[in-house]
Parts: sequence; structure tokens; C-alpha cells
Amino acid sequence: MADYDEEARRLVIKLVYYGPALSGKTTNLMQLHEMLGTELKGDLMTLETQNDRTLFFDLLPVGFRAPSGLMVKFRLFTVPGQVIHDGTRKAVLSRADGVAFIADSQKNQSLNNAESFRNLAENAGRVGISFEDLPLVVQYNKRDLPGIVEEEEILARWSSTKWPVIFASAARGEGVKETLEALLRPVYLSLDADFDLETEHGLSLEGFVGSVLKGET
Amino acid sequence: MSFDREADLSELLSGEGLESLGKSLAGLLGEDYALVSSKGEWLLGRAGEGRKSISIRLELEPLGHLEASCDEARLRGAAGLVTALLKEARRYHMASELHLEAVHADYEALQEKHHSLLKSEEKYRKLAAELDLRVKEQVRTIETAQRQLYQAEKLASVGQLAAGVAHEINNPLGFVRSNLATAGSYLKDLKGLSGLEGASVSSYWKANGLDFVLEDFAQLLEESVTGVDRVARIVSNLKDFSSVDGSGKKSVDLCENLRSVGELVSGQAGGRIEFEYDLSPLPPFSCFPGHINQMLLNILMNAVQSIEGGGRIRIFSRFESGEILIGIADDGCGIPDEAISRVFDPFYTTRVVGSGTGLGLTVSRDIATAHGGSIGIESAPGRGTEVRIRFPAGGGK
Ligand SMILES: Nc1nc2c(ncn2[C@@H]2O[C@H](COP(=O)(O)OP(=O)(O)OP(=O)(O)O)[C@@H](O)[C@H]2O)c(=O)[nH]1
Ligand SMILES: Nc1ncnc2c1ncn2[C@@H]1O[C@H](COP(=O)(O)OP(=O)(O)OP(=O)(O)O)[C@@H](O)[C@H]1O
Ligand SMILES: [Mg+2]
Ligand SMILES: [Mg+2]
Repeated sequence: MADYDEEARRLVIKLVYYGPALSGKTTNLMQLHEMLGTELKGDLMTLETQNDRTLFFDLLPVGFRAPSGLMVKFRLFTVPGQVIHDGTRKAVLSRADGVAFIADSQKNQSLNNAESFRNLAENAGRVGISFEDLPLVVQYNKRDLPGIVEEEEILARWSSTKWPVIFASAARGEGVKETLEALLRPVYLSLDADFDLETEHGLSLEGFVGSVLKGET
Repeated sequence: MSFDREADLSELLSGEGLESLGKSLAGLLGEDYALVSSKGEWLLGRAGEGRKSISIRLELEPLGHLEASCDEARLRGAAGLVTALLKEARRYHMASELHLEAVHADYEALQEKHHSLLKSEEKYRKLAAELDLRVKEQVRTIETAQRQLYQAEKLASVGQLAAGVAHEINNPLGFVRSNLATAGSYLKDLKGLSGLEGASVSSYWKANGLDFVLEDFAQLLEESVTGVDRVARIVSNLKDFSSVDGSGKKSVDLCENLRSVGELVSGQAGGRIEFEYDLSPLPPFSCFPGHINQMLLNILMNAVQSIEGGGRIRIFSRFESGEILIGIADDGCGIPDEAISRVFDPFYTTRVVGSGTGLGLTVSRDIATAHGGSIGIESAPGRGTEVRIRFPAGGGK
């Protein structure tokens, strides 16, 4: 649940990039740090990596001011994908307002994807997030590699769910913004219901999404 | 408390770090400076007038500001130093908080796992216990059914026994009948003497070989009496045994039971086995005679079955220290050491498939215990087996 400070006129939204080890979560954040032209953009903080593996989390803060003057702040986190860091994953996931699930498109990663997705659902339950209501987007990353699962097959597999699927090549910056956009939309809808973003703060869905995704000027 | 809570300036800068930062800042900015949090907390330096100010940001918003009266470049440099220090402090802060949370989460997961393990173990144990109970119940039901069936079958085999006995009875009956027929013809011969006198008597006597006739006649009668006695005994044995159906309790002399069942069995064994009776007098014993006979029959049948070709079965009884002891010993094949503990188990049998139920001794023990007694078996493989049954004098409950 987003952190709303009425007095400080501040809304802090937590988005979590989840997924199996080496699927490209950190790469997504690095690309966003490069590409986003959001009004306010902090440094990308990567915490304790060991051979490029995330040990704790990465954090990218971005934000903008709503027409009402409300400070809308996003904290984009990545979790460590390696199975052993489950406690950390759970702690990072707690209080998330939305999740981008970064899957690895390579054929030999299907099992890891499924495992990690199940782990996401389980941990959501453990930290008190209703998985049904959680804004979620699925990204199939590394589309530039050979030996990947066909798009049709992936789409067929996820067609019975309500979650959008985005194809990406995070290393090339492709599909990264699209993934964030696809996540921001349901996040806005669920926040608008709680904080009257539109009526109280003059913040429309397009304004919300557009403010975050502004291109580098 | 969560790791991603945004810490304020005073939380990030405290203790020794703050002190040494104060020294560095004083060196850089002179004494006229201050570091103030966004909440207005005075962290370092002191109040002053007409200072330049620069805000300190970590993420997006100012955490506080640094103010000093020195030139701007210096102030900017000092602010950079404070920001760099804060970044490190925050990294450490978040990492350590997260670590704590993660360890806690792992611990909780472990506890959860432990809990569910306990629960599933309990469930499993309950299930196992239930299963065990159910299996035992099933086995009991089956065993009871089998034993009842066995009783019925044994009754049928008593019928078989009776058939054997009838055959046994037919034997003496046969020769008694033929003896009597012969005796009849001898009588006719003797009748020819009537009316004869003098020398004609002796010539008739000689011509008809009456010396032999008289001798043989006596022998025939003697033989016939033995035969009839035998029949009488068999019939009485059978009568004893047939009290299987008479379900009431009766006071009996167990020696008689031993003898009658023994004789029935020995008749069946057809002479290849010698039966020895070593019976000491016993006090009257109150029991269900049908069951007791059935028990003795089971044990005696085992003894007979253990003997291939010729052998000996000794049936004995003792009355010692208020206890009735009856025993049946054979010199048959014996029971291997590893099997002796199983012979009382229901359905344990070494007989060819179909020929034994493995219930003989089980039922015997049931009967012995039902009469307040006990049954034991000892065996020397290759040399023979002895079964002993003990009862409290007077009979069981
Ligand atoms: N070819 C290709 N490689 C990629 C792509 N995205 C990420 N990678 C590579 O995959 C490796 C892992 O990427 P990361 O972003 O560190 O993965 P992660 O999900 O953060 O991994 P963990 O921190 O261990 O959970 C790196 O070598 C990336 O360069 C992609 O789109 N295409
Ligand atoms: N006197 C004995 N000598 C040698 N083995 C014996 C003797 N009595 C019992 N046993 C062994 O114990 C087994 C169990 O005996 P039990 O009378 O219970 O069943 P059974 O004789 O096999 O079957 P059933 O009594 O139905 O004919 C026998 O199969 C046999 O191996
Ligand atoms: Mg990573
Ligand atoms: Mg038997």
C-alpha cells in the first residue's frame, strides 16, 4: 500500500521488479535510469553486488509533482533472483504497489520462470499482499537471444490470465519503458481508488503515466 | 520497522560519524556553519546570521541543509562531502535493516516450515495410528471369522474322524460276524452228536474233527469278545468326543479325555505310531469338554503329522503343586529354532499349501487361556517336540 503523507503532501509508490536469477531485473532498472526524463530522478543505488548478482536490492527513485502540488514519488526496487535470497525477496516485496515480473525468454529458463512466479505468488501471500488484486505485468526479456520460446507460445500460455505480457530486450533498452508503462496503468487505477488522484490532485491516468515516462529532454 | 522506510538526517548521521563529520566541516568551513535537518533539527555547528545555504538531497527531496558564511565553492564542496557520507550511511542503513528483515523472514519461513512439518507429522502419525488400528481391527475380524470357520471345519473333520471310526468299527464287526457264522456251523457239527451213543460218538467225533472245532470255537468266542470290547471302547471314545456339541460346562477327568482322544488318533494312525500313556490321576476339572478335546486333537494331530514312518507319541499327565499338567510328546521332525516363536501365530503353517490352516495351535492356545491355563511348546529339531498345557486345579473361570 502506497505511503501517503497528507501533511507533507507526498505519495510514495513502491514498484518491485521480480523474477528468476539473471533474467535482467537490474538491467531494466539501469536502462530506466538512463532513459527516463522524469522531473525528479535520483541515483540508481545498487546494493552489494557480487559478480553482478544482486545481493540485497537495487533502488531507483523517480518522482514528479502533481498539479495539486502533491509530490508523487516512485521507488523502483529489484529483488535478488537467486533462490537462496528468499528472505530478502520477501522483505523487498512487502508493501509493493505493483510488480513487474521479469522472465527470461530462453527455452532452458522456463522452469526457473515458473518457479519464480510461484514464489512471487507465495511471498505475496506471506507479506499480506492480495495477489489477485496486485497490479502486475509480465516481461519476457532477452528477445535478442537465440533459443528463446516463441512469442505465440508465450502469449498462448498467459492468455488465460489478466496480466499484460511485454516482450523486451532490456540490454538494448527495448521494451523496458513499455513494461513500466503497462505496470503504471493498473497501479494508477488502484491508487486512484484509494487517494482520489484525479479529483483531488488533478492527476489523470495519462498525466500519471506520461509524467513518469517523459523522454530525456 | 522496515528497511525501505526513508531515514532522516539524524538517523543517518549519529554517534562517532557525526562527531568526525563535525570536525571535518569545521576545518573546511570555519566555526560559523550549521547542518540542519529538514525538520529543523540542529545537528552540527551553531546558529548564525547572513549565511549561504545549500540543501542536502539523497533521493529526490532535501533531507536538510548546510549553511555557512564562507564562499560558495567551499560550501558546495562540503555539501558534496556530506551527501557522499550520507549515501554510504544510507547504503549501510538499508542493507543492515533489510538483512535483519530477511533473516527474520527466513526465520519465520523456517518456523512456518517447522510448524507445517510438525502438523503433517502429527497428521501422519494420527493417520498411521488410525491405519494401524483399522488394520488390527480388520485382522481381528478376519481372524475371528477364520477361527469360526476353522471350528466349523474341525467339526467337519470330526465327521471325517467318525467315518474313520466307522471303518475301524467295521473291522471287528466283520470278524465277529464271520466268527459267529463259523460258530454257527460248529454248533451244527456239535448238534450231530445228539442221539449218538457208544462207539459211534467217538467215530463221529473223529470224522468231524470235533477236537479242533471245540478249540477253535473257544478261540472264536474269545476273539469276538475282544472285538466287541474294542467296538464298545471306540464307541465310548466317540461319544466322549462328540460332546463337542454339548456346549455346557462339565466336570471331567482330563485323563479320560487324553485317553479317548489319543485312542481315536492312534486308530487313525493305523499302527505305524506307538502310543504311550503315562497318566497320573488328576483332580476333577471343570471345562467345556468339546473344546478341550478339540485342543487335544489339534496337538495330537500335529504330533502324528510330525512323524514320518514309525515313531512314538507319549501322552502324560501330572498333578503338581496345585496345577494340572498335561503333555504330548512326539519323536518327530521337531521345529527349527527360528520357527518355534511363530507356531502359535495365526495362519503360520509349514504344511503343503491347502493342507493346513495354521490355526491348530492358535485355537489350542485360545482354548487353554479360555480355561485359565497356558500352553507351551519345546522342540529339539530332528528329535521331537513336546507340548505342555497347564491348568489351575479345578478348572478355569
Ligand atoms: N542478451 C541479453 N542479455 C541480457 C538482457 N538483459 C539482461 N541481460 C544479461 O543478463 C545478465 C543478468 O542480468 P541482470 O540484470 O544482472 O539480472 P538480474 O535479474 O538482476 O539477476 P539477479 O540480480 O541475480 O537476480 C547480465 O549479463 C545482462 O547483461 C537482454 O535483453 N539480452
Ligand atoms: N509336534 C510338532 N512337530 C513339528 N512341527 C510342529 C508340531 N506342531 C506344530 N508344528 C509346526 O507348527 C505349525 C503350526 O501348527 P498348527 O497346528 O498351528 O497349524 P498346522 O498344523 O500347520 O495347520 P492345521 O492345524 O490347520 O492342520 C505347523 O505347520 C508345523 O510346522
Ligand atoms: Mg540483479
Ligand atoms: Mg495343526
